[in-house]
Amino acid sequence: MPIDFSLTEEQRQLQALARRFAKEVILPVAQEYDEKEEVPWPVIEKLHEVGLLNAIIPEEYGGMGLKMLDEVIVGEELAYACMGIYTIPMASDLGITPVLLAGTEEQKRRFLKPLTEKPALAAFALSEPGNGSDAAALKTRAVRQGDHYVLNGTKMWISNGGEAEWVVVFATLNPELRHKGVVALVVEKGTPGFSAVKIHGKMGQRASGTYELVFEDVKVPVQNRLGEEGEGFKIAMNTLNKTRIPVAAGSVGVARRALDEAKKYAKEREAFGQPIASFQAIQFKLADMLIGIETARMYTYYAAWLVDRGLPHAHASAIAKAYASEIAFEAANQAIQIHGGYGYVREFPVEKLLRDVKLNQIYEGTNEIQRLIIARHILAE
Amino acid sequence: MILVVLDHDGTKLRKGSLEALTRARQLAQALGEKVAGVLLAEAGAPLEEARGYVETLYVAELGPYTAEKWAAGVLEAAKGGVKAIVAPSSRQSRAYMGRVAYALKAGLLEDTLESWAEGGEVYAIRYAYLNRVTQKVKSPPPVALTVKPNTTPLAEPLGQGGEVVALQVPPVATVEVLERVQEEKKGVSLTEADVVVTGGRGMGSAEAFKRVEELAALLGGAVGATRAVVDAGWRPYGEQVGQTGKTVQPTLYIALGVSGAVQHLAGMNKSKYIVAVNKDPEAPIFKHADYGIVGDVHQVLPALIEAVKKLKD
Amino acid sequence: MKFIAVIRQVPDGESRLRIQENRVDLSSATLILDQMDEYGVEEALRLKEKHGGEAIVVGFGPERAEEALRTALAMGMDRGIHVVHEGYADPVTVAEALAPLIREESPTLVLTGGQQADWDSQALGAALAEALGVPVVPWTTAIELEGETARAKHDLDEGAEWVRVKLPAVFTTQQGLNEPRYPTLPGIMKAKKKEIQKVAFQGNSRVEILEEIIQEKARLQRILDGKDPVAAAEELVRLLHEEAKVI
Repeated sequence: MPIDFSLTEEQRQLQALARRFAKEVILPVAQEYDEKEEVPWPVIEKLHEVGLLNAIIPEEYGGMGLKMLDEVIVGEELAYACMGIYTIPMASDLGITPVLLAGTEEQKRRFLKPLTEKPALAAFALSEPGNGSDAAALKTRAVRQGDHYVLNGTKMWISNGGEAEWVVVFATLNPELRHKGVVALVVEKGTPGFSAVKIHGKMGQRASGTYELVFEDVKVPVQNRLGEEGEGFKIAMNTLNKTRIPVAAGSVGVARRALDEAKKYAKEREAFGQPIASFQAIQFKLADMLIGIETARMYTYYAAWLVDRGLPHAHASAIAKAYASEIAFEAANQAIQIHGGYGYVREFPVEKLLRDVKLNQIYEGTNEIQRLIIARHILAE
Repeated sequence: MILVVLDHDGTKLRKGSLEALTRARQLAQALGEKVAGVLLAEAGAPLEEARGYVETLYVAELGPYTAEKWAAGVLEAAKGGVKAIVAPSSRQSRAYMGRVAYALKAGLLEDTLESWAEGGEVYAIRYAYLNRVTQKVKSPPPVALTVKPNTTPLAEPLGQGGEVVALQVPPVATVEVLERVQEEKKGVSLTEADVVVTGGRGMGSAEAFKRVEELAALLGGAVGATRAVVDAGWRPYGEQVGQTGKTVQPTLYIALGVSGAVQHLAGMNKSKYIVAVNKDPEAPIFKHADYGIVGDVHQVLPALIEAVKKLKD
Repeated sequence: MKFIAVIRQVPDGESRLRIQENRVDLSSATLILDQMDEYGVEEALRLKEKHGGEAIVVGFGPERAEEALRTALAMGMDRGIHVVHEGYADPVTVAEALAPLIREESPTLVLTGGQQADWDSQALGAALAEALGVPVVPWTTAIELEGETARAKHDLDEGAEWVRVKLPAVFTTQQGLNEPRYPTLPGIMKAKKKEIQKVAFQGNSRVEILEEIIQEKARLQRILDGKDPVAAAEELVRLLHEEAKVI
């Protein structure tokens, strides 16, 4: 049997756990933290307690060794309750992935183990104020001086950047070498010269902390370098090729929520003497939402399956991320439309879905960049 | 024989016993059997009242209630052979009847709304799935059947006192009652009341329940509470209506500041008329309401009390 | 010491029920470990953590009920026994099926839910106690072991009481007994390796379900605007008096 769409017993249990966690722990506080624009530490602590935080860390380093498909199952459930809150563990996995891909045994032990022993986060710093999508045009400089590097520059839009125990920072040794000059360095919290400034006034995903990171003559030991000099760009791209799949999973979760809220409202709300769910104009919207959810989930699972099988997955993860975030944005948009004026106010949860999921079209590579990756895949042959 | 367990409060029979008696008489007639009663007591029991309803009355005084003793008492009374044992539903009866049913390998028909015999078998209607589904079930005799309160007409006395037979119940001492935590008894019992006035989290405080009590008293009803209210310590556990509390089926159920969680609905959704007052028009309770007011319960409740007083004058 | 929790898998209270050919169809319902049984699992775990020994989960139900057993194992129960049976069985029949297996384990005590969320039975604990020849404490909100006996608090119809009960005994759960823990991810992974003994049961239920229907009473849905509380209250009382004729 070459194709199997069923989840294993453990995956179903994992899904049930994540669903229950989302409903009981995240859902009741989602609106509050969105309004306060604050990181919900009690939720992060609870995530750690039940073992869902940093769970992709392999068992030999104290983690649960979750595979990509497991992660995707969890991601959809957590994002259903709040995409912003889900971004926190998701961005931590984003920070962990380069260490898994390029770290030495000693580095894995040193950086990953502590993240399994207490509620703690990692972060990934690639974007800069002057360049996001053009990742090879880095301005952050690393200069080798004996047994350490001296780091100078600024990173922008870094999720968990101010909370993380350590951040994987991508810097250039020589800007003229473009992507061949990039090095990946693990910068630990509290290193002198390293500071994080929280970015306020975000449209959505306000429960996740987004930071500007400033490096002023920060000394990073050579033992904190992942891979070799010049391998940084490849490490960053290989990381994103994996971690944009959970973005797709989160998008599916948001879309599912949008459909549930829209369905509920459409069955209750009456117009012209009947529930608006009885009108085809509404029914078509609901049907379109489900078409999006089912196809996006299926493709997200497929992309995750490729990762777990060790098969090439760069274009698949790009398709999943772009497609799922777009159907989710449209689902949130239509959920607001179905709610009419009520959809536009905070008393109902649908406006938050739209604000939150907009970011899914932007971070971990804009959807335009995803299309470049896909096009490159098409034209490569 | 059809045996009916006559439950009482020490001085008089409970209403549920007379409902159970009606059911027992119906089964007896259909199966060609006689009805006998069993009256088990901790200390005092309404012996004279009870023997007015049955030709044979088995009695025993057993000391503080335990499921084991009551099961032993019922089994002793059933020794001559029974086609059915009928008891009013209560937390206690549903436990000792479980023991009795196992001991007799009887069909256990719990908390039935209706029951009848046909072709030598006993049929019943009962709820399942937290009161959301109505089941029709059957079992060959013997059956152990409990009767849901407020479902059955009350039995009339026979006109003459029946024979009283003292039971020799073998002693069971596996459970010793150490201390009883009595609830303050106010007015009518929750499960038997025709009117129940329940306050939810929306009441805001324990003090606010004075008005709930006032309305309940005016309507001759009982006070109920939701799980949130009981957990907050505003009202005693005994007043909780819902899955883990009591199931009520009054003629009129008034829900004040109650949102209508599934677990609460399980305890009251079979009430004849449901009235809801809640400031949130989206509260699920309104979907289950016959009448309702969308408004602040702290303003609506005093106005309701006044309006009822006006009506009574 | 050995603590046994008897569990079943039931539909989530919030999932929609459907009727197919006069019977409840659960094929599209979310199925969970009965929340009343979950209190029993949690209590068995707490007793084990405090006094040592083994915590065993015993489940009754179709093959799919294994998921509920796995949930209990993921919460921390040591091993499971699954009595496999399709369809409805009354509590006397379930007790007959479980008693021999439980007796073989010689448990210190047995816990099960105060009421089943599907068949709405409150009698499994009592029937099981009778089958095992031990006492039952229904609707328990506290258990303290004291050697050969336990002190327990449990609800009555009116009020509650503290009792001292000889062990072994069966306790049925009531809300308030504890706050069940989550089956954690490490727990789920460990549960994979825990043993579930499967036992087939062919016995026939004495009580038979003939028909199931969903009878949602149509409600009048006359909802008044309470902006003027006095007017709304008077109108409501008028409706209850003149239309419903209940006051």
